[in-house]
Amino acid sequence: MKTSGKVLAEQVKKIGESKVFSIRSPSLPTWCPGCGYFGIHQGLNNAIQRLGLPHHKIVVVSGIGCAGRYPFFTDTYGLHTVHGRTLPVSTGVKLANPELTVFAVGGDGDGLGIGGGHLPHIARRNIDVKYLLFDNSIYGLTKGQPSPSSPVGFKTKASPQGNKDAPLNATLLALSYGASFVARLFAGDPEGITRALVQGIGHKGFSFFHVYTSCVTFDKEYKTWDHLKQWVHPLPAKHDPANLKQAIDEALEDQFSLGILYKRME
Amino acid sequence: MAKVDLTIEICGMSGDGTIAAGGILNEAMSRAGLSVLAFDSYPAEIRGFGRCVTHSRFGDQEMQALSEKTHVLISLDDKESQSRTPFLAKNAVVLFDNKPPSYVEEGTSIAAHVEPDVRLFGMPFTDLAAAASGSTRGRNLAALGGFAVIFGVPPAHFREVIAKKFKAKGEKVLDANLKSFDAGYRYASEAFKERERPVLLLPEPGKDEERILISGNEAVARAALDAGLKLYFGYPITPATPIMEYLAKALPAKGGRMVQMEDEIASIGAVLGSFFAGKRAMTATSGPGFALMTELITHGVMSETPAVIINAQRGGPATGMPSKTEQSDLQAAVFGGPGDSARIVIAPTNVRECYEFTLMSFQLAERYQTPVIVLTDFFLNNRVEKVKIVGASEAQREDWNLYPDESSRGQYERYRVTESGISPRAIPGTEGFLFDATGLEHTEKGRPDYSSEIHSKMTEKRHRKIRGALNDLPEPVEFSSGEAMDVGVIAWGSTFGSALEAVLRTQQEGMKVGALKMMSLFPYHAEAIRAFMKKCKEILIPELNYEGQLANLVGHLHGKDVVRLNRTTGMPMSPTLIYERIKTLI
Repeated sequence: MKTSGKVLAEQVKKIGESKVFSIRSPSLPTWCPGCGYFGIHQGLNNAIQRLGLPHHKIVVVSGIGCAGRYPFFTDTYGLHTVHGRTLPVSTGVKLANPELTVFAVGGDGDGLGIGGGHLPHIARRNIDVKYLLFDNSIYGLTKGQPSPSSPVGFKTKASPQGNKDAPLNATLLALSYGASFVARLFAGDPEGITRALVQGIGHKGFSFFHVYTSCVTFDKEYKTWDHLKQWVHPLPAKHDPANLKQAIDEALEDQFSLGILYKRME
Repeated sequence: MAKVDLTIEICGMSGDGTIAAGGILNEAMSRAGLSVLAFDSYPAEIRGFGRCVTHSRFGDQEMQALSEKTHVLISLDDKESQSRTPFLAKNAVVLFDNKPPSYVEEGTSIAAHVEPDVRLFGMPFTDLAAAASGSTRGRNLAALGGFAVIFGVPPAHFREVIAKKFKAKGEKVLDANLKSFDAGYRYASEAFKERERPVLLLPEPGKDEERILISGNEAVARAALDAGLKLYFGYPITPATPIMEYLAKALPAKGGRMVQMEDEIASIGAVLGSFFAGKRAMTATSGPGFALMTELITHGVMSETPAVIINAQRGGPATGMPSKTEQSDLQAAVFGGPGDSARIVIAPTNVRECYEFTLMSFQLAERYQTPVIVLTDFFLNNRVEKVKIVGASEAQREDWNLYPDESSRGQYERYRVTESGISPRAIPGTEGFLFDATGLEHTEKGRPDYSSEIHSKMTEKRHRKIRGALNDLPEPVEFSSGEAMDVGVIAWGSTFGSALEAVLRTQQEGMKVGALKMMSLFPYHAEAIRAFMKKCKEILIPELNYEGQLANLVGHLHGKDVVRLNRTTGMPMSPTLIYERIKTLI
């Protein structure tokens, strides 16, 4: 029996609305009220519902930091590893059982600082892992130190005279490392996250989701909600995600345009 | 007593084909029915300039250690070979090039640098090879032709091995090498009178066809394959790299894959991820890489995730001596890393055990849900032995994971405290058994918890589990001469072979001495070790490290201080050194 696309879409919508596939776990997140991670959680949860992914076929792998706790707040298999090693552990999980959908989650310290050496390699191996980088430009769990994506001049207790080191552009890095799917997103737009994740989960290969978010407790200066809301905007309408050169230009010229920058056509 | 115990060294400069000739010699002597224990003490990490020496001991019985006296020296470069003459046995045979290439300095001939008792056999290796094949490159094979004549080894054995070795390089190369060997053989048959040739009593052929020549590294790789390995993650490092290369070639045919990772941290991370998802995986490294793995190894301890890690020890600390042997990672393997992180550490003492222990490590890792470290050393990894490898039985391949049963579906507790400390482990993809594994201290459900009660209870659970592994770990093996002994020698790793050889020598001389082979380093069989110690007045622990790391580990079981014998020369432990030390204790 052949099911038409329309019928299938309706069935999927119905299942989604039933909340059967909600991945929220009974444990309430330990994040501060107002934390951007709630928005990311909602975005990911909705994507999984929309796709109807069975929970037992999902593994969420994390490192250390506020984002490291993520697996405990999802009703899936979870592997909370050590600081910075999310991507190699995810590689092992995915290669061992390709039927699993593997999400790697972590902050900017975990993914660009201590674990920065792993991103190029999972990208060039094109391992089918979905990596969400929660980028709030600060070390939150250790109560506010500058991170590899903090701007120059950023003041914290560990940088009282202002941060001296230039920030990394995670989207640009992922593109130049050869990631086959790259999206830039905003925690204040869960629906945008869901839409990009639905596309990225369907993509066979390493998928990088650079999510801008705010640390409401330790950053009163830079990536505040007010600032982020002013800064972010959609990618230009003419942007062609099949064009790597265009994606790199976009990542270089505009740090805050959101959407799917690049998707390699196989 | 052994009828044949012959040690042969080939010495040359890099580029002389020394290592190749050694390999051919080992294989040919093996085909002639002899046991083999061989070690190439090549000088540098890569083939560059420098002295190459192959050291092969052949016998009609199984051998435990290298010999300290050389009976035959085949010199491909007389200037370099002079460094080997102090190790020559009485009446040793020296086979040398009596018409070396023109660039060789005059007056360097080895003939002028040996004791008068040495039996010299000179022949023009270079000229013979050049005349036979048009190139001097086959001079190492011309030398082997001469050796075959002098010791009466059937040339067919050599020709077969040469054919096997050079087949892939094309007919021209193969033909040139065979011709060089034949030229050497013909020349020596005429030049050396039969009555001047030593007599070598070869065993009857065909009686041990099941044994094969294999290195420790190859044994490890084959065992992993036989255990059903699906994924290997690694990073190049001396002396473990050959394991990775072997598996890169062999795994695809078995539906598996070798992934060369970006570093050792990534390698162990991927191994843990793979076991977490239910597939056997492995990594192999040496000291520097092992140090990098430490944090994730303790994550395996805390999250109770299996892993198999081969640590092929080399000289340390830091980069140390990549191409030298040492046993100085014991403490790092047993105790390395943050916190109370008990894990299983086993150490093979010969090539056969390299196979057996690697094979068993996968089941141990699964049953005890822990990283298992197989601690080898440069000498073990690189030496070649003739051993019988029967392969893995059905039972040895069996899955030792303990899965949760149906009754816990929906209310599964991943870290349930049990009597054995082993909690059933669900594999992702299984419906109804979701859990989180974490490196944080956690409750039985796997939720983070820092309470005094939980940390005490869970730490105890993890240690109880590892202690329980003693039942499945290789017990110490005793080689005692009676119930009351003057000296007991306890040894581990490749040093055990030297210790046993020394102890057997003292036993033959009527001394009351025993040896204890320790293979399980953690947990260890304290009762068996104590029982052995009780029989001995003195306990001697020889090790290739500075302080005595095994002595630090088990010395406290003895009623008084143990005697330590430590060497950090980068070379295998000398049996004579142990023998002499034993004598001073009696």
